[in-house]
Amino acid sequence: MINEYYGVAPKGDLILLQKLGEKMKNRSFLHVNATRSGGGVAEILQRMIPILIELGIDAKWEVIKGDARFFDITKKIHNALQGNSETITREMWDYHFEVNRKNAEACQLDADAVLIHDPQPSPLVEFRKKGKWIWRCHIDLSNPVKGVWNYLGRYCEKYDAAIFSVGKFAQAMAIDQFIIPPAIDPISEKNRELRGDEINETVVKFHIPTDRPILLQVSRFDRFKDPIGVIRAYQIVKKYNDCILILAGSPASDDPEGQIVLSETREAAGGDPDIYILLLPPFSDKDINALQRIATVILQKSLKEGFGLTVSESMWKSKPVIGGAVGGIPLQITHGVTGFLVHSVEGTAFRVRQLLNNPELAKKMGDHSKAYIRTNFLITRQIRDYLSLWYHMENKGRSILEL
Amino acid sequence: MPFEFKQCISLIESTGKKAKTLRELRDLIAIISVESINHHTYQYYLRRRILEYNNDFAHWAGESLEERTLSEYFSNIDPFLFKDVNDLRRALLKVIDNYLEQFPEPREAMVGDEFYFNEAIILLFPAGLRANNLAEFLIAIKYVDPPSLYYHFYEARVRLGSGIDDFSKWVEDALERKELAAKIRNIDPLMHTLEGIREHLSEIVEEEVRKDMEVMPQ
Repeated sequence: MINEYYGVAPKGDLILLQKLGEKMKNRSFLHVNATRSGGGVAEILQRMIPILIELGIDAKWEVIKGDARFFDITKKIHNALQGNSETITREMWDYHFEVNRKNAEACQLDADAVLIHDPQPSPLVEFRKKGKWIWRCHIDLSNPVKGVWNYLGRYCEKYDAAIFSVGKFAQAMAIDQFIIPPAIDPISEKNRELRGDEINETVVKFHIPTDRPILLQVSRFDRFKDPIGVIRAYQIVKKYNDCILILAGSPASDDPEGQIVLSETREAAGGDPDIYILLLPPFSDKDINALQRIATVILQKSLKEGFGLTVSESMWKSKPVIGGAVGGIPLQITHGVTGFLVHSVEGTAFRVRQLLNNPELAKKMGDHSKAYIRTNFLITRQIRDYLSLWYHMENKGRSILEL
Repeated sequence: MPFEFKQCISLIESTGKKAKTLRELRDLIAIISVESINHHTYQYYLRRRILEYNNDFAHWAGESLEERTLSEYFSNIDPFLFKDVNDLRRALLKVIDNYLEQFPEPREAMVGDEFYFNEAIILLFPAGLRANNLAEFLIAIKYVDPPSLYYHFYEARVRLGSGIDDFSKWVEDALERKELAAKIRNIDPLMHTLEGIREHLSEIVEEEVRKDMEVMPQ
């Protein structure tokens, strides 16, 4: 499997992976999260575990089990950590712990390194047997509800180290904290190269005209993704440049607010035949890939964002991206070099016009974007960083490690 | 003696310290670890680079505080002129002190735009390339990963302590080409991205290889 990344990922990362694999040969590396499928963490683990095994590491993946009450509590914890007002009662915390206690009995937790993903399984650290324990936080912890973080933090402080996606998510804790951004998989269905006929299939399926520039935003219909702001920006641009707008996202049938935002978005579009609101079912990865490849300019005009990996996905396809200057987006877009960071509808429209009127600039930014993602945001880099961290923890006290 | 290409990566560690004002930045620069100063100055060249800025402090002053003049002062600091990191630290503090004396107090950074002090753990490993002569060196320069260029062209200046890069040293010592070494040393490390360094090195070395290959007609 690792051979598939040769010629795609940087050679140095692949060399380092082999070297670290030799150092950690036959040693056990356990990942624990809360879901086997769905969501970015499971998506990455599905690819990462076979690669680790191929490198000679005894990699394992355990998924904790819980009932609806447990996941309702952990959803509330998740929201509170992202800054939403939620109350987690003592009883709820006790249930959170109790479910983890039962999982600790059922799971094999004795490994040389244990990486626990997100808050759901974080109490497992109370049942650690051996090895280095690392807590990997994938969510935006920049402004958590204090009481909730203080409670969860008691578990986190029992780990040997914590990993956050962005520097500003790190917390005041007595353990070592590392910054490892998430990554995309360049050979997955969502990001692999597509043939012309595969792209055309999507174009025909959604009746998309390709005779004019295409603006695209791929995201849930969520206020924080600002789909209405995108329509307003498109309407400004349209006065100067003929173009079409595609807003592609999931229908979010289980999210009542998603339905409201979708209705508001449709209303804002006002029957404009050049605005395409596409409701994509789950597992539409190939269609998303094709849409990103036919777009002229890609937007991610978020008002709040965890990391926003759709930005990296678009940049990987050599597209200039205009993104809201929030969350992890500024880590991906270097303003003026690989795209533009914006703060308003007007700013978004201005930058879109700039790119539509300067195809050479758009191409140059797209080329820089692909190179930047190749170096910084591919799965091989993420695996390399996890193994480097494990290796560093076993060789503590040295700031330069030679392999 | 062949040139063995090496490469490095950095693993970023948070110090947990952040500054939202210029005064807080000053107080933290005064006490922060040498590793953190290293990370925000020398290792800036290993990470993404915008040509307007030469270190993270200049980047923060320009982008987050929107203090262009302060940013210019920070960018004008050449880290490779300092033998000791603490001298570099003093130069950074001097820039802030002078600025605070001459200009009105800058505003606070917006929430989330504070300066986050980090450190880096460096992992060094062979890049899997060896050059036995100038022609092989030219090919390697064209294709080696950017972090390898960083290690040999930037990090070497600190590691060797003489402000000299590995490439020109090898060209001078192993190939005995003083003129070519001088040309490589003329490339200003502060004025280019890693890709720009690659381009200039390739140009200079290619010219030399071409000269070696030229045959005068009889």
